[in-house]
Amino acid sequence: MKTSKTLIGLTIIGCSAGLLFTPSLQAAVSDEDFNALKAMVLKQGQQLDQLQKQHEQDQAVHTLDQQQISALQQQLQQTQALATNAAVKAEAASQIQPVYPVPNPAPRATHDFLVTGDAEVQYGKATGGHGTFGLADFAPIFLFRANDNALFEAGFDVTLQNNVDANGNPTGDKKTGVDLSFAQLDYLLNDYVTVVAGDMLLPLGTYSERAAGWLNKIPDDPLVRDYLPGSGVGAQLRGALPVGEAGQMLTYSVYGVNGPSSTNDAHAGRLDLNGNVGDTPNWHANPSGGGRIGWFYPWALHYDLELGISGQTGEWSDYAGSYAWSAAVLDAAVHLSPYFEVKGEYVNTWQQIDDAGTLHPSGVWVQAAYKLAGLEKDLPVINNLELVGRYDNENDNQGSKVDRYTAGYVYYLSNTLLFEGDYEWFLVHGQNPNGNAPGSFVLQLSMGF
Amino acid sequence: MKVNIPLSPHSQRVPGRFIFLGSLIAILVTLFFATPGLVLAGDTHAAPAQGKPPQPKKVAKKLSGAELYAIHCNRCHPERYPEEFNQTKWKTLMTHMRVRANLPAKQATVIMKYLQDQGGN
Repeated sequence: MKTSKTLIGLTIIGCSAGLLFTPSLQAAVSDEDFNALKAMVLKQGQQLDQLQKQHEQDQAVHTLDQQQISALQQQLQQTQALATNAAVKAEAASQIQPVYPVPNPAPRATHDFLVTGDAEVQYGKATGGHGTFGLADFAPIFLFRANDNALFEAGFDVTLQNNVDANGNPTGDKKTGVDLSFAQLDYLLNDYVTVVAGDMLLPLGTYSERAAGWLNKIPDDPLVRDYLPGSGVGAQLRGALPVGEAGQMLTYSVYGVNGPSSTNDAHAGRLDLNGNVGDTPNWHANPSGGGRIGWFYPWALHYDLELGISGQTGEWSDYAGSYAWSAAVLDAAVHLSPYFEVKGEYVNTWQQIDDAGTLHPSGVWVQAAYKLAGLEKDLPVINNLELVGRYDNENDNQGSKVDRYTAGYVYYLSNTLLFEGDYEWFLVHGQNPNGNAPGSFVLQLSMGF
Repeated sequence: MKVNIPLSPHSQRVPGRFIFLGSLIAILVTLFFATPGLVLAGDTHAAPAQGKPPQPKKVAKKLSGAELYAIHCNRCHPERYPEEFNQTKWKTLMTHMRVRANLPAKQATVIMKYLQDQGGN
């Protein structure tokens, strides 16, 4: 506005001067004066243009200021509205009864849930029999971590078996089985002690705890594992003591479980190694105890030795009474390079029975494996292949002894997808209680996840 | 998992019993000694293979997470790569494996840190 007034004033003064001085100058104006006057007029014109531009800029600034003022006014109104609402809510909240949390000094859980496990499909053929897809197996492991120290884990074995019952005997129909392999709560008490409770994999040897389908380099279990319980219901303390800082360690496990029972048969008691949960007719008062001590010594990367001794003792019962049952297991494993390993177990058991004193079912298994990648040949197929051989036997101490020889391979389609194939030879001495054929082969596709 | 294919009740002697054992041992021994660069640790008299590291890597006084992983984990199962799980999942898995494999606490922690540092998202 100020600029506008100045512009009008200058215009009036210029016009007045022109009116006042024109008559007197009309006769006496020279070219020089005329030119000077002309230059002055032109200069004033330029000044007028500059003033006009300045005026337009001022107008734009003014418009912007007005917009900002409007925006600020709107914000102010919103703030006032929020303050009003907050006051209303605060007043409403003051009418609600407060919640008093229960004092709890325990740390809050930071849950994490994970499913791992494995799945298998088998095709097999025994000498004199028909080839068949004999097994589809889904074995998930559910891991539920509550915090840094507490973990619940449960493993299932869901199987579809074709024309066989749980013991492998033909039945004429298919059967789906769901087996709880283990369900245990682990609590890391400190660096050296972990408390385990529930249905636990038992540390009798190492096979049970390292026997997932995609870990076994041979699809079936060693025969002698039939003489040991796979899991037990109870509690366990376990841990490891490092020796030095080069990986060497001593490990221990000590546990108490319900122990074996017998089949629910009123006429003849048969030892049932896994029948120890709530079977009241066969329930016995005293739990079984057991444990394992192990030594692990690595002297270079992928070069190590592991030795362990483990056992369990207790009693089993049938309708006639209670009897002693014990087991001892020696286990060993050697790795010589990333490619070669040998491992095995020796199992001896003592089963007291009513009418035949004490039986000593026993057996052994030894397995060797070699990854052909160790030959360092630039052949992709060969480098993914591992050769496996195993000898195992079982002696039931009742007139039957079975030797089995297995030769096979593992082809690694990936680090968790394995295609295995094996051929087995059986040598049966005395009776043949399991109906073993002289030979059979098995193909298995196994996936860990 | 037990193989449950139908089996014949007939028992026969297999003549290749000793052939099997002999062949198996011969194959494994041949492969073992045919492995380039594979010598027993500490055997300083072993001849080095041409162009290959003559000795396995000796265990250092204090092992890194990757080395402890190689020592403890690969002896039971094929290698699981760090990228397969994220940090939270590795913590759960390592808690599981610490119990299952009876690993010392500090070594399990070092392995877990290695896996988490290299882990996926």
